[in-house]
Amino acid sequence: MTITRRNVLLGASAAAALAPIVARAQTAEVVIGVLYPFSGASAQMGVDAQKAYEAALDVINTKYDFDLPLAKDAGLPGLGGAKIRLVYADHQGDPQKGRAEAERLITQEKVCAIVGTYQSAVAVTVSQTCERYQIPFVSADNSSPSLHTRGLKFFFRAAPHDEMFSKGMFDFYDVMKKKGTKIETLALFHEDTIFGTDSANAQTKLANERGYKIVADIKYRANSPSLSAEVQQLKAANADVLMPSSYTTDGILLIKTMGELGYKPNAIVAQAAGFSEKALYDAVGDKLEGVITRGSFSLDLAAKRPMVGKINAMFKEKSGKDLNDNTSREFMALIVMADAINRAKSTDGEKIRDALAATDIPGEQTIMPWKRVKFDEMGQNNDADPVLLQYVGGKFVTISPAQAAVAEAIWPMK
Amino acid sequence: MDTTFAQRRRRDLIVAFCLAVVAALVPLFVKDVYVQNIMVLTLMYAALSQSWNILSGYCGQISLGHALYFGLGAYATALLFTKFGVLPWFGMLAGGVISAVIAMVLGYPFFRLRGHYFVIATIVIAEIGLLLIQNWDWAGAALGITIPMRGDSWLKFQFARSKLPYFYFALALACVAWFVTWWLEDSKWGYWWRAVKDNPDAAESLGVVVFNSKMGAAAVSAFLVAVGGGFYAQFVSYIDPESVMGFQFSLLMALPAVVGGIGTLWGPMLGAVILIPLTELTRSFIGGSGRGVDLIVYGSLIVAISLARPQGLVGLFASRKEAAR
Amino acid sequence: MTAEAIIQSLASGLLMGLLYGLIAVGLALIFGLMDVVNFAHGEFLMIAMYATFFLFAFFAIDPLLAAPLVAAALFVFGAVVYLLIVRFAVRAKANAGMVQIFSTFGLAIVMRGLAQFFFTPDYRSVTHSWLGGKTISVAGIYLPEPQLVGALVSIAAFVALYFFINRTDFGRALEATREDAGAVALVGIDKNRVFALGWGLGAALVGLAGAIMASFFYIYPDVGASFALIAYVTVALGGFGSVFGAFAGGIIVGLVEATTALILPPSLKSVGIYAVYLLVVFIRPRGLFGSM
Repeated sequence: MTITRRNVLLGASAAAALAPIVARAQTAEVVIGVLYPFSGASAQMGVDAQKAYEAALDVINTKYDFDLPLAKDAGLPGLGGAKIRLVYADHQGDPQKGRAEAERLITQEKVCAIVGTYQSAVAVTVSQTCERYQIPFVSADNSSPSLHTRGLKFFFRAAPHDEMFSKGMFDFYDVMKKKGTKIETLALFHEDTIFGTDSANAQTKLANERGYKIVADIKYRANSPSLSAEVQQLKAANADVLMPSSYTTDGILLIKTMGELGYKPNAIVAQAAGFSEKALYDAVGDKLEGVITRGSFSLDLAAKRPMVGKINAMFKEKSGKDLNDNTSREFMALIVMADAINRAKSTDGEKIRDALAATDIPGEQTIMPWKRVKFDEMGQNNDADPVLLQYVGGKFVTISPAQAAVAEAIWPMK
Repeated sequence: MDTTFAQRRRRDLIVAFCLAVVAALVPLFVKDVYVQNIMVLTLMYAALSQSWNILSGYCGQISLGHALYFGLGAYATALLFTKFGVLPWFGMLAGGVISAVIAMVLGYPFFRLRGHYFVIATIVIAEIGLLLIQNWDWAGAALGITIPMRGDSWLKFQFARSKLPYFYFALALACVAWFVTWWLEDSKWGYWWRAVKDNPDAAESLGVVVFNSKMGAAAVSAFLVAVGGGFYAQFVSYIDPESVMGFQFSLLMALPAVVGGIGTLWGPMLGAVILIPLTELTRSFIGGSGRGVDLIVYGSLIVAISLARPQGLVGLFASRKEAAR
Repeated sequence: MTAEAIIQSLASGLLMGLLYGLIAVGLALIFGLMDVVNFAHGEFLMIAMYATFFLFAFFAIDPLLAAPLVAAALFVFGAVVYLLIVRFAVRAKANAGMVQIFSTFGLAIVMRGLAQFFFTPDYRSVTHSWLGGKTISVAGIYLPEPQLVGALVSIAAFVALYFFINRTDFGRALEATREDAGAVALVGIDKNRVFALGWGLGAALVGLAGAIMASFFYIYPDVGASFALIAYVTVALGGFGSVFGAFAGGIIVGLVEATTALILPPSLKSVGIYAVYLLVVFIRPRGLFGSM
């Protein structure tokens, strides 16, 4: 009791001069919660994410010569060089467990912020819980557009959502059409989950607005034992572009089944997910020459920004994989969160939230092709421009938008 | 024999009352919300498993499709509230009634099925329910339903941080489920079920009455499970088809009874008290590894208990008296 | 919808159905022998697929060549599971039905956990195989070679199984044990040995299916879950214990799945399978060819 009172008195009288010392003494480390599926059907996503966060943690906690927020210092200078510590928790893809784990992280592990969650359904309950405890939540890799429109004060997302991603695709179609490519009909192929539904809704809306005809809209059950009936219908529709929104498992089966049923579309433009995973290309890469996928990330940036290549190498050393759509967003989520905590000079949820809301990181200081990181009043970063990547000769090249492109699109695909 | 039975029943009632009182006092000493959360889940699964036990334990009709009723309860509560502004208290009730009616409609053809044909029929019907909701746009389809949070309210049964109201509701539900079971044990139905279990041929002679009593058991069981589902929707304040109607819920309802003792009054309670904290703690403290260690621990435990104590762990407590008898 | 599309759907459904039959027949066999349903059947399939994958990845053995090896390995595995777990489960005096459901179900969880522990949750695929990606086109109808060979193996396995059960000593011992386990003990047949061999045989059959599927399906720890329920429905539809029932059940499930996807949105195609199952057992509570 006396100690507390003395601290308060000390803090009040010593004022600004002593503040950094007090801060250093009080917060030797800043704890951030990381919520992912580490068991169950999506466990691999959690395992990969963990590697991405470790890479980001390394960049923040040790000195690197990168033009990223916090890279040049060891720890958070705003908190007297405090180091960040991550606490991982497993939500198994279950909204209830996500909520319970978020609560545990906040009340027991005393985390001052949470990042996550891969599955959008879990992000719903985790962000609600964070709101109730006034702890900021940065959604790293949830792309559901419904997440940021719920009026939550503590929700932030630096990455694009499905409507932005889909808009990137349709912008690209418009450009291609002007160049004389025939793109009139589209076939949607999406799983029956939040991700698939949101993606298809955004694409349907855009197609109607911009005068493209959807000739097949196939909703399928995720992890089906067979997709022959679905592929059969896609083949019959024979659209100019096939637009899948699928995870790795169904993506592999889709491509294999298409090969088996002799269906070769002119172009595939995928809503990332499985189509940015190495496992899919390991399995059926030979059939994917020329496939296009949206992405938040492009290794082509390494030519312009050498740190992107170096960070990718750091990640690859840990995981054996290149940074992809998901892992790059996860990396950035922690950087953005740490930057806000650093500027807040506090681990108080409300202060971090205000700092997040004031975030303004120029695109050059990220590893992403984004214009900047700046959140609107709903916590969404609208300056996160997605890119389109085409898989050519065993790697991805950026083909759209124009300012990020390094090559012309190959259309139709081989 | 009859007097000991009556004595045992009176003793059960007293023990249950004391336990309920003790349980009700626990939150006064345990303030940690994570632990409180585990207690709420434990009580909820105790209630669900107790309800499941009525049909599957006492009647011997093994259902692995109770997720259907759980999901119906959750969806009825959430839909009635978000679409029509019906308070969750009535929503839970409505969900219970709908589920009970569906259980009876299904019971008519289902109870003609024996053994694994019945088990698989129950799994399949819950899967059909899941797929239909997943494709039903009005009910939110895969997007699920978020229950809007407008501050703490008993009327709307929603509380931002406090777990206590949920705790006491779950406790009440568990008590009700226990009491219904206790009451059924000594009812006409209870006698018939025991007779049928001991001697399947007796079922033939009792024919119609047993059939009707099974329908009753299905209805009661479905009603209570659906109320539990409505509670879950309020507790989590977000539901989607997979997270309330998935096959895993059917198993999670059955497992406490299996571990504790199927067809026993105390089995589901004991099973839930052991199993739920164990699953939560293994996930929280060893699940973060991404290596599946929690699954190995959990699965091994189920194998070990079902092989070593087929009558459930509840027998461990009664064994001394059994021996004396 | 063109006639060609309908024929293609039915052809794909038939091929898939024969595979479902092969996946499911092991379940039917074991049930027929001792009234036990193996709730870890999907995980047996998963293990078989991993075994095929590792034979391919480390020794470059084609899945087709690996099939007998995997079947042999699964035979041993099935027998061991019987001796270590199921043997005790069927002895349970109380709640026998429940005990065997949950002991094998617990095993399924353990197997998934172990697969995640040792093989990581990453998605694997057999990338090059003799059959993988090849397809035969007849008059505009495509028949993928892996599924075609799978269908042929399935038919061959059913024929072999038929002769095995009816024409060999072991088969007769299986039949006799199934009819009266007490009596066979009197004539000197070791019941446990017959059951262990039965489990081995059932697992070997799913091993065969797993090896073939590995050439066209992805592999990860939870892959069994996609097939397990279909396998149970297939067996129950055909009638528990009937090997021919599993064969017929598989074909029906494959065809129903394909036709449902033609009529309803494909995300509902399993509803067709489930509805047909319910319809069949409401009319015939023992399935189409169930004997008991």
